Amino acid sequence: MNGEEYSDTTSRLSSKELLQTGYWVDGELPENVRVGSNTIITGDHAFKRFHSRQNPALNIGTDCTLEGVHFAIGKDGHIEIGNYSYFTNAILLCELEIKIGSYVVIGWNTTIADTDFHPIAPAERIADAIACSPLGKNQTRPEIVRKKVIIEDDVWIGPNATILKGVCIGEGAFIEAGTLVVKDIPPRVRVIGNPAQIMGKV
Amino acid sequence: MTALKGTLPWDWYSGTIPDNAIIDETAYVETTYSFNLYRSHAPVGLQIGKGSSIYLGTMFDVGTYGRVSLGNYSLMNSVRIICDEEIKIGDYALISWNVVLMDTYRVPFNPVERRKELVRIPKRKLRNIDAKHSARPIHIGANVWIGFDACVLPGVTIGEGSIIGARSVVTTDVAPYTIAAGNPARVIRHLEA
Repeated sequence: MNGEEYSDTTSRLSSKELLQTGYWVDGELPENVRVGSNTIITGDHAFKRFHSRQNPALNIGTDCTLEGVHFAIGKDGHIEIGNYSYFTNAILLCELEIKIGSYVVIGWNTTIADTDFHPIAPAERIADAIACSPLGKNQTRPEIVRKKVIIEDDVWIGPNATILKGVCIGEGAFIEAGTLVVKDIPPRVRVIGNPAQIMGKV
Repeated sequence: MTALKGTLPWDWYSGTIPDNAIIDETAYVETTYSFNLYRSHAPVGLQIGKGSSIYLGTMFDVGTYGRVSLGNYSLMNSVRIICDEEIKIGDYALISWNVVLMDTYRVPFNPVERRKELVRIPKRKLRNIDAKHSARPIHIGANVWIGFDACVLPGVTIGEGSIIGARSVVTTDVAPYTIAAGNPARVIRHLEA
């Protein structure tokens, strides 16, 4: 007996026929999204916070499995994902650029963000709070730091991990469950902790 | 003991309790959506004792050979259970939201081997990773309390009566009657038994 053979009574992906070219299960795909063949995206919230005006805003390669993913992309945001990557309930918060390679595994409830969303300076934060409020309709928000996130090929990221702005995770690195990554991670190391510490090689 | 079977009268989701699950009739399961990722073919894939409760958001992501058991009067609120071999939880356990209990990494550590598995996945109808790579059982003793967002990694045993702080990552065994917290978790103090 192997995993491929069990009978599928309550299909967890969709009752619709699966695995069509560039298939998204739960509705219409936004126009500026490019999805490679045999890639599937599922989840009611996948594009709920998708506001990007870039074209393409989201470029996904072939043979990826992206289940329950959130693409929360701001108007300037741009995400690239390679081939054969496997995400479960990953949350991608993007205002600038997130680049994810091929053969990348991302576990449940992991967040990747390329911005802090609000300014650091207290006075600017007040201005931001007002601009974000229902009374701040025509006000522009202050400049907010954004730094692109790069995740190279063959990276494994466990569940409940957090990857913050400006980080580059080297090829083949292994990020344990629950790790908080705020600095670059060299290739092929295993990291754990808050903040992430190197605990060995892969 | 009579077991819960079939559908649940209060359920918003139109699923059923898996045939190889033994759930005591006095236990409370909020929704069968919790079994949406359940695919165990073990003789008994899931066992839930009397008076235990499984609330919304708990997901039994149990692979083909996985076995999960929960004692009596235990509570799980929105827990992610990733099991390919065995996860055993004792009586009176309290497990909070977004806790991850994983007895497996699902894919090989070696990136070259991992690639081979990732190439196979998109060819399957349901894209599960059901490999037995690095699966090591998790045992959680009676009367253990785990705080929210914590992770318990493969092979870990948590002794009776211990407390795991919120957002901790438990990488090594925790002795009975101990408070452990941090990422990675370390012992904070001991409790009177």
